[in-house]
Amino acid sequence: MADSKLPKSALSRRVYLIYIIPAGIYLLLLALYPFVNLLWMSLSNVTTLNIVRGSWPFRGLSNFVALGHLSDFVLAFRNTLVFVLIVVSVGMLGGLGAATLLQVKGRLSAVGLGLMVFTWAMPPVVLGSLWKFLLLPGGLVNSILATLHLSKGPLWLVQENLVLVSVALVNSWAVIPFSALVYRAALIDIPVELLDASSVDGATPVQRFLRIKMPLLLPITLILTVLTVVYAFRSFDFIYVMTYGGPGVASTTLPFLSYRLSFINYKYSLGASVAVFTVVIVFILAFVYVRALRRTEQT
Amino acid sequence: MGVIFLIVIYGVPLLWLAATSLKDNRAIFANPGGIVFSPSFQAYAQMAREGTLGRAALNSAIISIGTTALTLLLGIPTAYGLDRVRGATLTVGLGVLVLLQMIPQTATIIPLYRVLGAWRLLGTLPGVVLADTALYLPFTVLVLRPFVGGIPREIEEAAAMDGARTRTAFLRIIVPLLANGIATAASLVFILAWGEFLYAISILTSPDTYPISALISQQISAYGASWSGLMALAVIGSLPILVVFVVAQRRLASGLSLGAVK
Repeated sequence: MADSKLPKSALSRRVYLIYIIPAGIYLLLLALYPFVNLLWMSLSNVTTLNIVRGSWPFRGLSNFVALGHLSDFVLAFRNTLVFVLIVVSVGMLGGLGAATLLQVKGRLSAVGLGLMVFTWAMPPVVLGSLWKFLLLPGGLVNSILATLHLSKGPLWLVQENLVLVSVALVNSWAVIPFSALVYRAALIDIPVELLDASSVDGATPVQRFLRIKMPLLLPITLILTVLTVVYAFRSFDFIYVMTYGGPGVASTTLPFLSYRLSFINYKYSLGASVAVFTVVIVFILAFVYVRALRRTEQT
Repeated sequence: MGVIFLIVIYGVPLLWLAATSLKDNRAIFANPGGIVFSPSFQAYAQMAREGTLGRAALNSAIISIGTTALTLLLGIPTAYGLDRVRGATLTVGLGVLVLLQMIPQTATIIPLYRVLGAWRLLGTLPGVVLADTALYLPFTVLVLRPFVGGIPREIEEAAAMDGARTRTAFLRIIVPLLANGIATAASLVFILAWGEFLYAISILTSPDTYPISALISQQISAYGASWSGLMALAVIGSLPILVVFVVAQRRLASGLSLGAVK
């Protein structure tokens, strides 16, 4: 009779675990094992000769030490930090701003929200290609700037001191809808009575925003920050399509560097080292943020 | 007022995408920022003649549908099992999934290339499907779990008292109740897989097998001058997204904020 009723206690746990097994095995083989492989690669010397077959000579941490001396790595690290900073700040502030603007009900809001969500859903290769075109020296953006007599029209994707920012801004643009959706849901959750009561007490919209909305939005902001930071660190598609890391390494971030080292320079071990380094940084950052989140939840 | 601004910065680029695909290539070359133009279907006609589009679209469809199906097949039971098992297993499981999601694609492609090579799956579309599924499975489980959480355990207990086994309860009762969540997850995974190109260009060897996203990524480097062609390809490549969007807009919006945040 045991198998004709809902199992209880230890037996029931076993049944539920069975449901997890297929995905567990799958991820073990195609996600966890490759990751361990990556770690091993970063600690050995892997070349085109021994990547598929053959054994890898162990090299300890020498690859990581070599990275420290590689100017491309240092530059890529700095670029990644700048990139993440831009995408997180513009992406989240833009999202909050958009969510606030979209609180107004009506057709226009619906259209605006729809366009934003659709943009988010589009493949990054398409969006990146589109903006590459828009940011051409004679492209639409510069045409508009010229018509408004604002600027001669910078070389967005060519000037070394501008490339990274340009790609970061495009990436932010693509990511704002996500933050906007999250903030929109959070704003809707704020009890109307709270806001009405404060109006009665004479609070201005700005005060309402700063004193009531922002503190209530703090937990969601922290979660969103973790997600956006992780996303920005991993971001690869836009750079690949818009600038291919260039000119030189002006727009190379850590993920792109690891790709280039492995697939263009065939320096698999170095590429793996950069990748492991990136993952470690991301893990640490996420850990720190989750800690902060727990603390705010306790207060 | 501000909403108009949003409509402009999100509407104009999309409009420009469509408009450029209808321009003559020489006109673009002369003036990439030109607003006035006479429409021409030259780019689309050329694509139709060359025939690459049909093949690429089929490849995209195989990859996206295959990945969506496989992730759901593996992910739905996992979301159910994880949510119901509770306790330490749940915490560890979620932790592993969240960590896996943080690993950049460029990190996993290197060893994944080797694993697929050992299984002789390099250069094949199923190889890409397997790689993409591994990539999107954690996300799928994380999106589905809140939906499973929304189904009260009493339903399973009631089914058990009627004599149903767990598996029957799962298939006949839980899964149908998850229809909403499944539709949300399916839409999201399909969109993501449709746009995925790194695994595709790394695993596939022949451009014949490239999906549209891979073609677009390569067009940039190879055919820098044919903007109308590229935009036309991009427009066609975006149509399925448009379809999914029109059908599932509300689900996308809620699934994103719900699943990703909780």
